[in-house]
Parts: sequence; structure tokens; C-alpha cells
Amino acid sequence: MAHVLYIEDEREIGEWVEKDLTARGHQVTWLTSGEGLDSYISQSDIMILDVMLPGLDGFSIGRRIKKDHATLPILMLSARTSVEDKVEGLDFADDYLTKPFHPDELAARVEVLLRRFQKQNEIIELQHLIIHTKDGLVVNRETEKEIQLTGKQFHLFQFFLKHLNQILTKEQLYEGVWGERYLEGDKTLMVHIRYLREKIEKNPASPTIIETIRGIGYRVKL
Amino acid sequence: MNRFMKSLLAKYMVIIFMAIIVVQIAYFIVGSIAILGFDLGHKEDVDANNVEEKWHKAVQNLNMVTQEEITNLFNEWKVHYPEAGMFWVDGDGRMQVELDATEGLPKQWSIIDIVKFNKERYDGDPFTVMAFAGDKENESLVVFEVPRTIFDPPLITASQKYGYLILVGVLGFIILFIVVSFVFFRRIQKRLLRLQDAMGIRDENGLPIEVVTKKEDEIGQLEKSFNHMVTEIRASRMREQKEEQVRRELIANLSHDLRTPLTKVRAQAYTIKQQHLSEEGETALRAIEISIDNIDRLIDNLMSYTLLMASKYQFVPKEIDISRFVRESLATWYPAFEKDNFEIQVSLESLNNWHVDPIWMGRILDNLFQNILRHAKDGKYIGVQSENIDQFEAIVILDHGKGLDKESEEKGAGIGLAIVDMMVKGMSLEWEIETSEQGTTIRIKRPKKGVND
Repeated sequence: MAHVLYIEDEREIGEWVEKDLTARGHQVTWLTSGEGLDSYISQSDIMILDVMLPGLDGFSIGRRIKKDHATLPILMLSARTSVEDKVEGLDFADDYLTKPFHPDELAARVEVLLRRFQKQNEIIELQHLIIHTKDGLVVNRETEKEIQLTGKQFHLFQFFLKHLNQILTKEQLYEGVWGERYLEGDKTLMVHIRYLREKIEKNPASPTIIETIRGIGYRVKL
Repeated sequence: MNRFMKSLLAKYMVIIFMAIIVVQIAYFIVGSIAILGFDLGHKEDVDANNVEEKWHKAVQNLNMVTQEEITNLFNEWKVHYPEAGMFWVDGDGRMQVELDATEGLPKQWSIIDIVKFNKERYDGDPFTVMAFAGDKENESLVVFEVPRTIFDPPLITASQKYGYLILVGVLGFIILFIVVSFVFFRRIQKRLLRLQDAMGIRDENGLPIEVVTKKEDEIGQLEKSFNHMVTEIRASRMREQKEEQVRRELIANLSHDLRTPLTKVRAQAYTIKQQHLSEEGETALRAIEISIDNIDRLIDNLMSYTLLMASKYQFVPKEIDISRFVRESLATWYPAFEKDNFEIQVSLESLNNWHVDPIWMGRILDNLFQNILRHAKDGKYIGVQSENIDQFEAIVILDHGKGLDKESEEKGAGIGLAIVDMMVKGMSLEWEIETSEQGTTIRIKRPKKGVND
């Protein structure tokens, strides 16, 4: 459960989103303009921001808030879909979703952002694993034993967990974990994935946690 | 008038004018030097007659025709005429006094000698004056001889002596004139070339930059006109950008105003969905959902199409690793294909970097993947491959649908492919579609340099 700060001037849409996110277990504070916004920021885990607002527009509000609160994820939710708007939005915001959106999609993106910013000490249950993301603890539910991962292995696993359900290419993984440019033919990543699988998979020969997506990359699906 | 004085024409006129004047002045100066320099010595008696008369007079005026008197006379004249020769033959035909006279003259003069000498020297060179001295009983001959050149006019003398100097001077002057003209035109040429270079420079917006005007002449005027033009182009570009901004804004607002009610429709439909519905109600609601998605996509395509047609779609090309780009794009579509049970085959080898706008490229792939999801569902297959042959590199997207010629239940594909077409061509790429009942193959090609050119 997270605290969602939601700015939307269209009443019908606002009510709907507030209701839907609340039903999904979040606590929603819905404002119809940027006025009085500051008093809610400190207790919020994520902000959903419309662009066309009375008074200050969403871009200006978002930019200001991101400057002071870099760790607060901001999701722009707008009916403005032009390339320029998206580019401007993503300049500071962490995600940009266009209307008319599907509520499942909004909820999924909120989850992704919360996970990426580690707003909660999330406990992820993944097949036979229980993972405490903040403490870096991985437990085998069946044996009730902790699985010891090396720093790099946990780092890699954590990167997958931050991007749950997303397919990550070799380049994205390598650059995300090692922070260096991936060079074609580099085997480092594959070696680390093999070691990681040996530790967390029930049967490393046919992995089910870290899926191989042929020709594209890898995925950890919840 | 002031402007004329600053012009190149005026400057060149001055050079020409100076050239003409200097020639005249040079002749005048040379002449003056000749006259002043050579005329001083023989102011009065440049004339032969004058010399003759004076000699006769001088000889007659002798008091006594003695050796001493004659010698004095000779010395006196020698001062005046250094080149002259003189001698005295007495009544007995004996050469008494001789001063620098022509060599080979007899010491003893007979009548015949005198007549012969007289005949020889008459109108000859040296100029010779023979005067008789003394009284009738004791007449003697006093001869004065001088080279005729001393009677030449001074200019001729000067030209004979210093003619080469005049030639050298004239030649020098012609060379000087050519050099001055050359330097003059060379400088004009250099300035023009510099101007040409300056006109070729572009700022970050691809606009020409103003040049610095240093002189007020014709080239200076040209530079000013150029600067004026640059200012106008800038103003025009600003206007254009403003119009573009307004147009984009209008389209963005229109899009926004269409999507907002569409979102409300979805909100209401979703609310209805939460109720317990009959099967018919569920079906109707699903139809509404699909229609919302279709309208959404159509609005998007329509806006993009309008912007592309007007060349107002933001275009920022850069070098991208195309295989990686396609792989990442496909990764986002993968779940959608997976959900519809597609067989997904990916075989992307590393290709060269492509110089494309990632947003455009993403849009092209989105439209093509979406088309497959909507129109080639029956095939349950999508293949994405790279191709690298001599003529081109390509990204190939295959499906096993019923082909593009078959009327799909939706006709929205047209505008989506029109956008793909415009974007592909806009990025100097090529594409081709092979479609049949068995499936469709779309190839986006980047021609290799040097093959097509």
C-alpha cells in the first residue's frame, strides 16, 4: 500500500482513478489543482500529475517538485500525446502515460515506479522464494533457509526485481548492473546469470524464475 | 559625392589618373634636369656662328701678335671650351703655338696645306674657325677647332648620355603601375573570397551569420546588403517557428480535447463493468473498450499524419545501434504477442549504427507490430530478423497472417502504414512489403553508401 498524490482537474476522471486505486489498496489524495500541494508531498510515495491544469500547468509543477524531491516518483498522466509533450514530460518525470488509459495499465506503472524507487520494504513472493528487497534477504520458502548471494549476484537479481515482468536485453542488464557499456560478445553477464540460477532455481537446467526470452533477453515474471 | 569618394571606382580612377600625371611629370622633370643640368655651361654661345664671330673678334683684338699674347688667348678660351683645340701658324707657315689641336697637323704649312685644311674642315667636324691676325705685311693664321657635339641641343645631349635612364625609368614606372593595380585588385579579390567564406558559415540553426563591415565601398555595401538579408531570414525563421508553434499547439490541444471525453467514456464504461452484467452487457462493454482504443489510435495517427504532411513532426536524428533498438522495442511488445499465443522468432545480428530519430523509428516499429497484432492474428507468428547484404542492411518483420490485400475488419491500417512510409522516407531509408495469403514480409532497408550513389 502506498500513498498516492493525484492531481487531476477533470472531476469524472479524478473520481474514477481515486476509486480504482483505492480499490487496489492504495491511499489516494486527489487534488484538482497544484494549490496546497506542498503539504502532502512529505507523506506521499508517488505523484500522478495531469498536464492541463488550472493555474500552473503540470510540467511546471512536476519540474519544481522533482527539483526539491528527487526521490519522489512522478507519473505524468495526460491527454497530450505529442512527441514534444512526452519529451518535455520525461525530461523530469519518471513515466508518461496518455489518456485514455486502461486502469490496469496505470496500476501496473504505479507498481513499477514504487518498486524502482523502493518506496516500501517490499516482500516479493516469487515461486519458492521470498525476497525482502530492502534488506537484501532471499529465503527459500520450502527449506526456510536463506540463500546467500554474492554482491554482484544480488545486484543483478535486484535489477530484475526492480523491472519485474519487463523483458531486459543483455545491454540493459549489463549497463544497469555494471554501469559500463556492453560490448558484443562479452560473456560476463551470462556467467553471472548462470551462477545466479544455480543458487535460486529449483532446476537450473530449465529455469523458471529467470526466463530466457530467445533473441531478446531475460525476464523475471511475478 | 562622399560615397563616391569611398568607392572602389574612385580609388581606381585615382590610380589611373596618377599614372597619367606621373608620366607627364616624369618627362617634365627629366627635361628640366637636362636643361638645367647641361645648359648652364654654355649659356650664350651654343651657336656656331656666335663662336665664329667671337673668335674673329678676339683674334682681331689682339694688340700684338706675339707668342705670349696668343698663348694667353688660347688659355683664356680653353677655360670656356675644354674640348676645344687651338693653334697659331705664323706668316712663314710655321706652327708656333699649339694647344690640344688635332693630331697629325704639319709643323710647316704651305699654301697647299692651308687650302687643303680649309677644304677639309669646311662644314666638317670638328667645327673649325680660321682667323687672320696681325697687319697685312705680317699676317698669320689663328685656328680654333671644337667638336660639333658641343652645339647639340641639351636634350639630345642628355638623351645620348642618359637615355637609358629614361628607358629604365619608364619601364620601372610601368612595372610600378602593374604592381599597384595588381595589389589593388588582389585586395578586392581577397575581400570577396573572405566574404564568400563568411556567407557560407551557418549557426546552430543552419542560418547564415552576419559579416563585419569594415569599409564603405562597393564590397562594404554588398556586406551590408547581405547582413540585411540575414536579418530578414532570421525574422522570417522566427515567424515560421512561431507559426509552427501555434500549429503544434493547436493540434496538441485538439488531441487533448478529443481524448479527455474519451477517457471519461472509458471511466464510465469501467464503472459499469464493476456491476454484475448480463453476457450481452459484457459483450457490448468489450465493444466499447475496443472502440475507445481504436479512436485513441486513430486520433494519434491523424495528428501524426497531419504533422508529418506539414513537415512539422519533430525530427532529431542520431546514431543508434539499430539491432539493440529493435530488440528493446520488441521487448515492450513481447507480452502482447505472448498473450495472443504468437510464436515469436527473433534473430537480430549486430548491424552498423543507423542515423535515425529514435522516436520515429519507435513509431514505425509500433505501427508495424500493432498492425500484426490486429490484422495478422490468425498467423500466430511474428519474426524479427536482421539482414546484412552487399547493397543494404535491413530489419525484416514477418508474419503469417492473411496478407495486407485481404480486407481486414478494420481499415485503420492504411493511415498507420502511410505514417510508416513517410517516416521511412523522411529518414532516407527504404522499405518494401511482400504480401500474400501466406503472410507479409516488411523490410526496412538502409542502403550502404557507395552502392546506390
